[in-house]
Amino acid sequence: MRTLLQLREHRVLAAMFLSGVAGIILLRVFDPATSGVFPPCPVRYLTGLYCPGCGSLRALHALLHGDLRRALAMNPMMVVTLPFVTYGLVSAALAELRGKGVPQVMLPASWIRALCAAIILFAIARNLPFHPFNLLAPGALLHP
Amino acid sequence: MFCVQCGANNADTAMVCVQCGRNLQPNAPVPLPAPGVVLPPGMTVQNYLVFAILATVFCCPATGIPAIIYAAQVNGKLQMGDPAGAKAASDNAKMWCWISLGVGVAITVLYFMLILLGVLSGLHSS
Repeated sequence: MRTLLQLREHRVLAAMFLSGVAGIILLRVFDPATSGVFPPCPVRYLTGLYCPGCGSLRALHALLHGDLRRALAMNPMMVVTLPFVTYGLVSAALAELRGKGVPQVMLPASWIRALCAAIILFAIARNLPFHPFNLLAPGALLHP
Repeated sequence: MFCVQCGANNADTAMVCVQCGRNLQPNAPVPLPAPGVVLPPGMTVQNYLVFAILATVFCCPATGIPAIIYAAQVNGKLQMGDPAGAKAASDNAKMWCWISLGVGVAITVLYFMLILLGVLSGLHSS
């Protein structure tokens, strides 16, 4: 009963956890590049431009199969930020579950603004149609 | 008030240093070598940065970017000693994360409905 109550309290967390696990299983089994299981990036679909997240699913699929080179070619930003995002998610989940006692890292505001600028610049750079920026397009490094 | 870690001059009300992020509260934990700082539990205001980044990458960059900017505002206002402003920015960051998730889910559902429609019309014509 107590666990059920706890589950109700943390139902957002439980839903996120379950969808995360389901997503990892789907990403391991199906290749986003060839199967229709995953929806296309809406930005790419509507405008034909790459967004900063384009290639993320293919990068995760490659990582789940141990192919770091392919993952980096698909979306280097995704691969670089993944450890930090994972730490942040675990940290947030523990804070939600245990309340106090979980240290949170406080980044200076200027760092976050710099990160935001980096994401926007990455999005612009990977759409430029000339060398070396065109290598940032998803998968471009695999077929130079 | 001068930061004990990097010496930057901060407003007397600041909760964290503008330059290095060190907690300036009297009973703050020992300084860290890294520019980040660990705030005591309960004092920090959630900035939803991780969710904002995930929203930008996986859902919708157009609505994820405002979430990241509000996340920066949360930390900036904490640095300036404005917890109420930080809380307001935190609520905005959270709202934009949920909007991004909504847009992402809506587009995904729409996509699969269109596929279903295509399959059904294909069946009908054959």
